[in-house]
Amino acid sequence: MNLIINHSSMQPIYEQISGQIKEKIIHNDLIEGSCLPSVRTLARELRISALTVKKSYDILEQEGFIITVHGKGSFVASANQELLAEEKRREVEAELEQAIRKGRSCGLKDSEIRELFQILLEEG
Amino acid sequence: MIQLYNISKQYPGFQLQCSLEVPPNRVTALIGPNGSGKSTTFKAILGLIHPDSGELRILGKPVSKLTVSDRTLLGVAMSDSCFSGYLLIQDIIPILSQMYPTFQKEYFLEKCRHFNLSLTRRINDLSTGMKAKLKVLIAISHQARLLILDEPTTGLDVLAREEVLDMLREYMLPGDRSILISSHISGDLEGLCDDFYLIHDGRILLHEETDTLLDCYGILKVTEEQYHTLDSSYLLRKKRESYGYRILTTQKQFYQENMPELVIEKCNIDEIILMMTKGEVL
Repeated sequence: MNLIINHSSMQPIYEQISGQIKEKIIHNDLIEGSCLPSVRTLARELRISALTVKKSYDILEQEGFIITVHGKGSFVASANQELLAEEKRREVEAELEQAIRKGRSCGLKDSEIRELFQILLEEG
Repeated sequence: MIQLYNISKQYPGFQLQCSLEVPPNRVTALIGPNGSGKSTTFKAILGLIHPDSGELRILGKPVSKLTVSDRTLLGVAMSDSCFSGYLLIQDIIPILSQMYPTFQKEYFLEKCRHFNLSLTRRINDLSTGMKAKLKVLIAISHQARLLILDEPTTGLDVLAREEVLDMLREYMLPGDRSILISSHISGDLEGLCDDFYLIHDGRILLHEETDTLLDCYGILKVTEEQYHTLDSSYLLRKKRESYGYRILTTQKQFYQENMPELVIEKCNIDEIILMMTKGEVL
């Protein structure tokens, strides 16, 4: 599987992996029912700890993107449009949150942030 | 696979006192500076020295109860031992076949070809890198369930090191296998091991999963003034620097979120060793 790990990024490696696999599922590069590499195989390919890969798979499973069948492997779950939309929503939410945090840390009042947001919305 | 509970061994001027565990399907690293007790721990695990007290189980049995056939499930490479240097590589094939009923001759030959280990070379004439590869190859060629490797990558160049580690990654693929591996430099093990034990002066200073070390641990670089305002809940060690302090934290995320003005760095495992062994306790 073509995943690119950035070891100098502050984003934890397990998040990078689960994020990229999610991306592939959302963009249909990984279709429903396709089999993911085993934890050890992926760990070997990426030269990282198997526990890290396991953690990424656990997250994907919890969020409903993949299903792990004991002794058989992990498979891409049926593409749930709602789930995908929810995922996108969460991403947007996280980025907005970050923008708000940045605004507050440089001294903007909440009303000013709201105003900025309103202006940007209207412009777009 | 391996369980050590409060093993202690007293030598003049050195005391080993440690507990560690290697569960199935795990690659565990034992790291620490030279003379910190890594080899002593390995010798205790293999029954080469007898601990003064504590409990030690390998593959679920006390070491003294291991039978000959239990021992064939182990693959071992110690740092300063190998077959007699006067033997040719081909001479060790019948020895291994006799010792280990599960010895995979074809696999061994194929790997020798792959690494350009000529069967008619004397072990003494091999370069450091070749010898290191041969030792690991000997340890893994009989499909052991548990590998115990004492500093298998010491003294190797980057290329040879990666080749040795790749062999170990391949070894882990079938599952239900474990490795205990030691090193005094750990950078090379970050990409292989699942968890790390840091040993220093005969004691375990730290035990964490690789993930936690790389994702949660970090270095804060703070000025004297910043140091006094710092919430010290997640700080482990500090070290004086010209600008103030270098501090090892177990929760870099916490400081990133609460004090965005701080300089926070990701740290690698070598830095963690340095800070843990040389830094001041907070």
